[in-house]
Amino acid sequence: MVPIDAVFALGIALFVLGLFGVLFRKNLVVMLMSLELVLNGLNVILAGLGFHLRSPRGSIFAIFVILMAVAEAAVGFALILSYFRQKKTYDIDKLNELKG
Amino acid sequence: MTFAIFLLFALMAVFSAVMVITRTNAMHSVLYLAFTVLSVAGVFFTLQAEYLGAVQILVYGGGIVVLYIFVIIIVNLDEVVAERRKLVPKIFIFAWPSLLALQVGTVVFLNRPAARPGPEGGLEFRALAEMLFTSYALPFEIAAVLLLAVLIGAVFVARRRLSRGPD
Repeated sequence: MVPIDAVFALGIALFVLGLFGVLFRKNLVVMLMSLELVLNGLNVILAGLGFHLRSPRGSIFAIFVILMAVAEAAVGFALILSYFRQKKTYDIDKLNELKG
Repeated sequence: MTFAIFLLFALMAVFSAVMVITRTNAMHSVLYLAFTVLSVAGVFFTLQAEYLGAVQILVYGGGIVVLYIFVIIIVNLDEVVAERRKLVPKIFIFAWPSLLALQVGTVVFLNRPAARPGPEGGLEFRALAEMLFTSYALPFEIAAVLLLAVLIGAVFVARRRLSRGPD
């Protein structure tokens, strides 16, 4: 029997680590990986709540989150590839053409 | 016993998540990401969400991680981006996630939902499938359309543009 507090703690820890990675790293691919960490933390909390409340809704919502993560990864990689063909770099600091 | 296994998988997940965001080599990061994903799948199994764990292994471990590896192979990885910043952005980067964790943690732990009494045996696939295809049928179809749009859009965005126009 897993207490819900431990599930919340794990989910929040993964979420915050992912958020920290998105803010801290300057490599576009690693930033996308950190976004996957954020979504994984969210999924842990959803699955834990579904277990805690004895409802299949937790798993169903988490499945939709996974679907959205797949969509995000595919489009993000398409954008990264297209960007890399033009600029030949990963660095997000070079991504400032729209800066006023 | 279940809780001990949960703790083991949770510690593995948090450790490899830290390694994902601290490695400078992106290939190391993606391997640690695979480790995190499989540990989270183990957490799902201890939470009796077996279907979710299977989907996590198949879709994340088999799909997304392989996609990451291919993209890292396609684009050049030798270049290491310097992580230098000024003081104020550095403080912001450390403070914002910590404050967010404190705030969300306080709200969540003070308003903990009461457990619903029920059978200990876990959720059945039957209940999950019935709810997914009746109450959530419309979101399911919308997700299918979203995936189709992503398929077409990703191919369109990532295609190699011809240098000269079509004849």
